[in-house]
Amino acid sequence: MIEAGITLLRLLLGLGALFFLGYALLTLLVPRPRDFTLWERAAFSFGVGALALTFWMLALTWWGTPFSLGRILGPPLALAAALLLAPRGRRAVREELQAFQVRPRIALNGWDWLFLGLVVMVFLYALPRAALYPMWAWDAVATWGCKAKIFYASRGLDLTCIEAHNYYPNLTPLLLSYLYFALGQVNDSLAKVIFPLWGALLLGLLYSLAARLGLSRSSALGLAAFLALNGTVFIVHLYIAYADLPLAFFALSGAGLLYLWLADTAPRGSLTLAACFLSGMAWCKYEGPPLAATLLLAAALTLAWLRPAHWVRRLGQLSVPLAGLIVGYLPWRLFIVQQKMEIGADHIQGLYPHQMVKAVSYLLAGLLDPYYFGFLWPALVLALILAGTRLWRSPMLFLALFVGGNLVAIILAYAVAPTSAAEFPAYVRATLDRLLLHLTPVAALLLGLGLKELFPTPESPPTP
Amino acid sequence: MTPAKTWRLWLVRLILGLWGIQVLWLIWHFGPEARDLAHRAASGSLGAAIRQEEPLYRWAAALQAIIPESATYVFLDDYAAGKEIEVRYYLAPRRHILLSPDISASFLFYTLHQEHAAFLLIRESQKPLGHGVQAALHSPAFHPVNLPGPGLAFRVDANLLRWGFYD
Repeated sequence: MIEAGITLLRLLLGLGALFFLGYALLTLLVPRPRDFTLWERAAFSFGVGALALTFWMLALTWWGTPFSLGRILGPPLALAAALLLAPRGRRAVREELQAFQVRPRIALNGWDWLFLGLVVMVFLYALPRAALYPMWAWDAVATWGCKAKIFYASRGLDLTCIEAHNYYPNLTPLLLSYLYFALGQVNDSLAKVIFPLWGALLLGLLYSLAARLGLSRSSALGLAAFLALNGTVFIVHLYIAYADLPLAFFALSGAGLLYLWLADTAPRGSLTLAACFLSGMAWCKYEGPPLAATLLLAAALTLAWLRPAHWVRRLGQLSVPLAGLIVGYLPWRLFIVQQKMEIGADHIQGLYPHQMVKAVSYLLAGLLDPYYFGFLWPALVLALILAGTRLWRSPMLFLALFVGGNLVAIILAYAVAPTSAAEFPAYVRATLDRLLLHLTPVAALLLGLGLKELFPTPESPPTP
Repeated sequence: MTPAKTWRLWLVRLILGLWGIQVLWLIWHFGPEARDLAHRAASGSLGAAIRQEEPLYRWAAALQAIIPESATYVFLDDYAAGKEIEVRYYLAPRRHILLSPDISASFLFYTLHQEHAAFLLIRESQKPLGHGVQAALHSPAFHPVNLPGPGLAFRVDANLLRWGFYD
């Protein structure tokens, strides 16, 4: 019993260190963290902390320093402490403590309780399902979890003993291996709690962004519940240890912040923070860099189409998130070159038009079949149709371009996938739901905007 | 309320109604897994205990004690069966090489020799043993490891391997 308690404590401390590091870096990245809501600060702290720590682990490997908990955590935590002792950090902590002492009571109405209850129900199932069952899902065992186990055993980013898409980026396996170091053992069930945590932070962020965009608390909570309980894909990804949920989290963070910036409602430092999350997308999955690039392309096209004041200068400001994407992409790419790792050419060899035709029907089925994402995508289509010309005259266009552009990109990706005719349906079945998951939280945000346009409510600023 | 707004409101209600039905379906869909979770939580058979229920895991766990962490092993199985990735996961960080069960003897022996593989593992399958496996069974370079489980394990003496005469 005592041993289990100590293990749990080590896990909580390991997770807490990520929040601590991320929050300290947040004080460096944005002038005033409290310009963001509590959920946003929690989500951004965790995302930035995970990103910084795993890049640090890559740097350790580059310098030939074997992993140990002290080496992984020591220097980043020392940096975090220094940041929080700096004037900006001290001010941020002071403001947090002051706000903690005067926290207003929140009166929830019946709808709030219903939506909150539904979300809690999901996590009452997903959290123990993640933490109490060993890793078993295909990609978790074949790729992410296997690498994490090897990184822990070899005390570094050693991929000489397996062939498991070694060129894939390593945020997820390094994060898992960090938790193994925190736990002092490979405990692949307990370490999986990080996935419901990603999911909870994603939903909290969606709620907070929706509230910031003008939805009432009930509508914002409803939107979060609508994403969580629509189809099986989101729920299953809360406990199967795939890298797709973290990528969806980074995509929502990046898209949300860029949208706020385009709508001139972004807190100061949002663009720098968006740069971090584009970096996270690149470091999270092989599909991350193109996904992040489409965010930038959609933002640039939106600026060029809407032509707001100083739009050319603002186009130039997009170089900040672009730099983030490059910073997230380059270290691993250079490491691959240095280690002479083979990069799979499993996506581009030629164009197969018959696959493109099939991909359209599979994609439509994936979007419409309630088994995958429930009624979220049909609801989005309806909301966009009803939004009408407002879609083209507001920064909503950015989110629509990102989502629509990536749906087209999915079809193109399948059109160049080098699979046999017999294997193609299985190939699509194994990948389509995950590709759509990367976009679905952003689609939910767009749905929220569409609903707001349809049923405008009095302005309600988000609770800090 | 304008007719257009009423119409939109009905549309939203329709989606919410469908969503409500879908939430009930989700509860039904995840019901069996939730029940399994509850039963396991009540009986305390969780975490590592779940793996112990799997014969493949028990076999791999026994192999962990035999195959040194620095060793290389060749595993014969169909990738699509999904069992090879499990064994690789259990035996990590041991170096893992997957080959098809239908591999020719010459290529199997060549790979074992070239990659300095110290063990050969063959997962049980419905299919008859291939030529390569049959040759291995009759070769003095392969010493069976007596382990009960859903597969065969051999120590490989690479120095005794000869290849090129078996196809």
